[in-house]
Amino acid sequence: MKRKQWRVVLILLLIGALTLVACGGATQDPTEVPEEPTEAPMEPTEEPMEEPTEEPAEEPTEEPAEEPTEEPAEEPTEEPAEEPTEEPAPEGDLLSVVAESCDYGGKILSIEAVDPLTVVFTLCSPDPAFREKIAFTPFSVQPMEWLEETGGTGELLEHPIGTGPYMVQEWVRGDSVVYQRFDDYWGEPAIAETAVLRWATEGAARLLELQSGNAHYITNISPEDFETVANDPNLQILEDPNPNIFYLAMTNTFEPFDNLDVRRAVAMGIDRQRIVENFYPPGSEAASHFTPCTIENGCEGEPWYEFDPEAARQLLADAGYPDGFETTIFYRDVFRVYLPEPGIVAQEIQTQLEENLGITAEIQVMESGAFIAESSAGNLDGFYMLGWGADYPHVTNFLDFHFGEENPAFGDPHPEIYEVLQEAGGIVDPAEAAPLYEEANNAIRELIPMVPIAHGTAANAALASLEGAYVPPFGAVEFALLDPGSDTLVFMQNAEPISLYCADETDGESLRPCQQVVEPLLKYELDSGATRPALATACESNEDGTVWTCNLREGVTFHDGSAFDANDVVASWAAGIDASNPLHTGNTGVFEYYAYLWTSLMNMPEESE
Amino acid sequence: MATVTEIPLDARDDGVRYQRPQSIWRLMMRRLLRERSAIVGMVILGILVFVAIAAPLVAPYEPNQDLIGVEDVDRRDGPCIHLLGCSEDRPQHLMGIDGNFRDVFSRVVYGTRVSLRIGFITVGFAIIVGTVLGAISGYFGGWIGDVIMRVLDVILAFPFLLLAIAIVSVLGPGLTNAMLAIAIVTTPQYARVVRASVLSVREMDFVEASRALGAGHASILFGRILPNALPPLIVQSTLGIATAILDTAALSFIGLGAQPPTPEWGYMLAEERNQVFSAPHLVFFPGLAIMITVLAFNLLGDGLRDALDPRLAESGVKH
Repeated sequence: MKRKQWRVVLILLLIGALTLVACGGATQDPTEVPEEPTEAPMEPTEEPMEEPTEEPAEEPTEEPAEEPTEEPAEEPTEEPAEEPTEEPAPEGDLLSVVAESCDYGGKILSIEAVDPLTVVFTLCSPDPAFREKIAFTPFSVQPMEWLEETGGTGELLEHPIGTGPYMVQEWVRGDSVVYQRFDDYWGEPAIAETAVLRWATEGAARLLELQSGNAHYITNISPEDFETVANDPNLQILEDPNPNIFYLAMTNTFEPFDNLDVRRAVAMGIDRQRIVENFYPPGSEAASHFTPCTIENGCEGEPWYEFDPEAARQLLADAGYPDGFETTIFYRDVFRVYLPEPGIVAQEIQTQLEENLGITAEIQVMESGAFIAESSAGNLDGFYMLGWGADYPHVTNFLDFHFGEENPAFGDPHPEIYEVLQEAGGIVDPAEAAPLYEEANNAIRELIPMVPIAHGTAANAALASLEGAYVPPFGAVEFALLDPGSDTLVFMQNAEPISLYCADETDGESLRPCQQVVEPLLKYELDSGATRPALATACESNEDGTVWTCNLREGVTFHDGSAFDANDVVASWAAGIDASNPLHTGNTGVFEYYAYLWTSLMNMPEESE
Repeated sequence: MATVTEIPLDARDDGVRYQRPQSIWRLMMRRLLRERSAIVGMVILGILVFVAIAAPLVAPYEPNQDLIGVEDVDRRDGPCIHLLGCSEDRPQHLMGIDGNFRDVFSRVVYGTRVSLRIGFITVGFAIIVGTVLGAISGYFGGWIGDVIMRVLDVILAFPFLLLAIAIVSVLGPGLTNAMLAIAIVTTPQYARVVRASVLSVREMDFVEASRALGAGHASILFGRILPNALPPLIVQSTLGIATAILDTAALSFIGLGAQPPTPEWGYMLAEERNQVFSAPHLVFFPGLAIMITVLAFNLLGDGLRDALDPRLAESGVKH
């Protein structure tokens, strides 16, 4: 009998405990640390650098009352239709992300939500390309709650929630990404109700899909197909005005590329003109500088070395390699405007290295994602072929990204280059900055982290019946503006996206699909690199260009129905730029564009600084 | 060497029927020469072997020599054969020019060397290993045989190409690794053939006789049994060379086999696959070369099978 009574008591206790747990919805499970992000790093605490990462799990419980969005963060997308809006965050719950000081070396000191519709960026030094940079897709905004729920990774990589004209319906791996029109879009709604993004690495396959009418628009037609497309009345050719550079890189932390004479020998021993003349479409040119001359200050300084194989061989002999050496040429077999036929050009470079310098190079093709990861980290011990298409129309986009202090892609960065670039990057007036860019370009020529080979030309193609087809010089084509004359638009690009969380992607094949869904504060004009309002109606600076105030657009809603406000902007930026933020996870965790375009991530752990 | 007997079709005038021992190899050749398809296969194979050996004489250029600045040619020019009306002003290129300004005919010719080498080395490796394993398994039987055959069964359970891709992925891309992978995945086939033959031969009287005379295991296995187990192995290996060439070409096509600028046919196909419409000759000729070579080995293999299997020959069954 006693035993039975105990059982009843135990059951009652259990029921009571369950009831209490159910009622206490805000109680956090300590085991769910990644899904309960702390906001402490984003708040202007007095000691933000004290222990940025050591005890993140305990921080959410310290001041639970001050966490403004805990409950909505738990299920932000369950019933967006029934709970369409969330009131903008009341003042007092406004987020900010702050660096301890500018000593960390980055451009940004703080990003603060000063009211629900105003965000202030405080810079450590003036940035002449601030507007152009923030208009770039990786700096797009997603709901703070969605970032928190996903922990900055996981489902976020496949299912971004933005404010754009399309929302992701489904990503069928290996096949397509399907978008659905977002009817509550703040701007002009998308013309086609459904957009399908497909991909094919072969130019011939893409063209075949276009010719057969299975695709409305394809990217990067092969040089051999220019004439075919131009002569086909059912197709239209769309020239791509995006400035770019193809280069042959060497990582100076590996022998023999740690020897400047070796690098100089390679610089003089490659006949770049021959490559351009024979393997690039008409209109391409051998690179005189790393940055194309269409970019202001890009071509300041001495032009690149003339082809001189004899002098190159002599340099190689002086460096201790009279008979050359054995190495590898790494590349990814992906069509790019700057490198339309990677395999063919790799063999041409292999031939030239052998004939001109006696260097025996084995060619190794790598998977695209692995190649980008390894080359970006400076882990490739041979030559590697890579390039760059402009993200925004400023010389900093080419030089600061590649030769910045934080970029290990060419090995140890050269202070002779990055210090000058840092100085130049703080000057708003291009004419005033010109001497510094001349110095930087000359230092690049002198230290040879890579050999700039070519500025390529390329073209996309579309069905003649596709209305509004265009190629923007910066950013990607907006699917919303294309009118296929039916409900479904099919767009075909070169490769499958790596992920759809583009704060942590650099690959153009990922940025394009992201751009249809998420939006930054500003956008590029369709026909130039000038910026226009997007989620911000305006971004204005103070007199010395160190404080930028962005006024946000009212009445914007995300695809999950939540309202857009300044906290979303701060949270999205904090996830990317603040290394101590628990949401700073992403696909690779590198957040390259945040690190390079803003010179450094803030609050980096000491061991990785 | 074991012999087989055959009753001559033409009996002597004295009416006495007698049996004259004949070498199995001579018999095989006689039967083989009766097979028209085998003769065609042998002729083609002979030509291929000649082309492979005499490649420097047959090919007008080095396989990797680019003609930029050497001749007035355009990238991916089509074939130019003067006899067929191509202008005398243009340099003659029987199979055209590839994307790197190289003579396709020269690359195809040198590719013969690569492909035949692939076929023979791959199958050679598989035969040696497979024969040893199959012979041990068949001759000794017991748990040793069981273990060997179960391991080989596991390998056989995987699709050949998939397993080869997995092996190359581990070893790293390259022609040598691709050949090794193909050899590994095809070894069980040879082991099974040898084992089956050994099982049937080891109980024959002449083996028992050798055993009774005190011959050792090695002597019996390698001196008596294996030579009599060879015919099916020869058929299998001839057909296997064709498969090996095809599989290696497939691995090269997906970038796991031959690396640039090796003139391997599968790689040549892959390299210019995008030009299938704009410059079809760049995929046509390497593809044709693969097809002819594989066909030659298949014809020869079929002929050998017919020649070495009296039952098939008598029943008139053709493959």
